[in-house]
Amino acid sequence: SAAILVRGKPGGHRGEGQPVGRAVTGSVPFDMLSRLVLRAAPAALRSLAPPATVGVLHVTRPLHTTQQRSAPLPPLPEKGGEVRHGLIPEEFFQFLYPKTGVTGPYMLGTGLLLYLLSKEIYVINHETVAAACILTVIIYGVKKYGADVAAFADKLNEEKMAQALAVKNEAIKGLETAIEEEKKEQWRVEGRKYLFDAKRNNIAMLLETNYRERLLTVYNEVKKRLDYQVAMQNLKRQKEQDHMIQWVEKNVVQSITPQQQKDSIAKCILDLKALSKRAQAAV
Amino acid sequence: MNLSFFDQFTSPYLLGIPLILISMLFPALLLPSPNNRWITNRLSTLQLWLFHLITKQLMIPLNKNGHKWALLLTSLMTLLLTINLLGLLPYTFTPTTQLSMNMALAFPLWLATLLTGLRNQPSIALGHLLPEGTPTPLIPALIMIETTSLLIRPLALGVRLTANLTAGHLLIQLISTATTALLPIMPTISLLTALILFLLTILEVAVAMIQAYVFVLLLSLYLQENI
Repeated sequence: SAAILVRGKPGGHRGEGQPVGRAVTGSVPFDMLSRLVLRAAPAALRSLAPPATVGVLHVTRPLHTTQQRSAPLPPLPEKGGEVRHGLIPEEFFQFLYPKTGVTGPYMLGTGLLLYLLSKEIYVINHETVAAACILTVIIYGVKKYGADVAAFADKLNEEKMAQALAVKNEAIKGLETAIEEEKKEQWRVEGRKYLFDAKRNNIAMLLETNYRERLLTVYNEVKKRLDYQVAMQNLKRQKEQDHMIQWVEKNVVQSITPQQQKDSIAKCILDLKALSKRAQAAV
Repeated sequence: MNLSFFDQFTSPYLLGIPLILISMLFPALLLPSPNNRWITNRLSTLQLWLFHLITKQLMIPLNKNGHKWALLLTSLMTLLLTINLLGLLPYTFTPTTQLSMNMALAFPLWLATLLTGLRNQPSIALGHLLPEGTPTPLIPALIMIETTSLLIRPLALGVRLTANLTAGHLLIQLISTATTALLPIMPTISLLTALILFLLTILEVAVAMIQAYVFVLLLSLYLQENI
C-alpha cells in the first residue's frame, strides 16, 4: 500500500522558476491555490537556503501585486476558508455552479465514485471496511467535540489577551489614581494660609503661657524671701517679749517677803470666812 | 488492488523509489510551525498547549540536568503520537510497526541513559541493581536478576511498541476481512463483526496514544534513575 499522498507543498517549490498563475483557465483553482501560496510562502521561503530564497524572490517579482511591507503585519483572516462537508472548499462548488448548478459537484462525486468502483480501479477489500470504521470514529469525534475544542482554543487566546489587557488597565488605573491624588494635593495647598495662621496663633499662645509662668515663678520667689524677713522679725519680738515676762515674774517672786506672805494668807482666810457666812445666809 | 495481510507492514516503494523516509517525516508537515504572531490561530494555540502539557508532565519528576532532555523527549512523543495515529487511516504505512525503527529509537536512548548514570554517578547507578532490604542470601541471585532486567529494557521498549501496534493493525485487518467475507453470506453476523471492528478501532486509537506515551514515559523513568 502506498504512503499517504503528500499534498503539494505550496509556495517554495512552485515558485522556483514557475509562475503560479500559469494555469489560469478558471479563477477558482487560482483562488484556492493562491490562498495556500500566500499563507505558506513566507515559511517556505525561510526554510530555503539564502541563495535559493533570493532566486525565488527575483523570479516571482513580476507577480507581486502590492508594495512589500513588513510592518504593520497584515491582519490574519478572521476565519479559515469556507469548507463544505469538512473537506471540499466552497470555491469548488462556486466554480461548478454556472455550468452544472447546485447538484453538479455531487453528481461529479457520485459519478466518479461509481466509475472507480465499476472499473475496479478502486477494489473493495478489507481496508474499505476498516476505512469506514475509522472515518466513523473521526467524524463522530469531530462533530461531538469540535465546538468544545475550538472554544477551548479561543479561551486560551482570550486568557493571553486578557492578561496583557489587565496589565494595561491596571497601569491606567494606577495613573488615574495618581492624578486624583495630585488634584487633592493641589486643593490642599490652597488652604495653607489658614494652616499657617493657626500655627502662628498656637506659637504665640505658647509663648504667652510661658511668659506668664515665669512671671509667677518670680513673684513666688520674691514673696518667699519677704516672708522670711517678716518671720524673722516676729520671732525676734516674740523672744524679747517672753524674756521680759520671765524677768518680771522672777523679780516679783523674789520680792515677795515672808511677812507679806503671812499677811496675804490671813486676809484670804478672813475673806473666805466672810464669804462662807454670806453663802450660808443665802441658803 | 488486492491486498494481502503483509502489504500493510511492508516498507513502501513507488516505482522502485523507497518512500520510507517520506513516510517517517510526513507527520511533521501536519504540525504548524510557529510564526511570529502573538495571538495565533486555533491549531497553533492547541499545538502549543499540547506541547506545554507534555513537556510539563515529563519534566516534573526530573532534576535540572534532566531538563536537557526536554526537547528530545517531547519531539519523540510527538513523532510517535502522530505516526501511530496516522497509521490508523486506511492504506497507510505505520513506521512504528517495524521492529527495526523501534529498536533504533529505543536502544540508543536507553543506552544514553545508562551511560549517563554510569559516568556521572557510577555507585548510585550500580546500586539500583540491588533493591533495599533484601535478605543477604538472596543478594547474588537478585543482582543477576536485576542485571537481566536492566539489559532487557531496550528490547522491551522496542518490542512493546512494535507488538502493540502490529497486533492492533493486524486485528483490524483480520476482523475487517471477516466482515467483508461474511457480508454476502450472513449479513447479521457481518454487522456484529462490524460492531466489534468499531469498538476495536476506538481501542486502537487509545492504544496508539498510550503506547507513544508509555515509550516516552519509560525513557524518562530510566533517565530519572540515572541522571
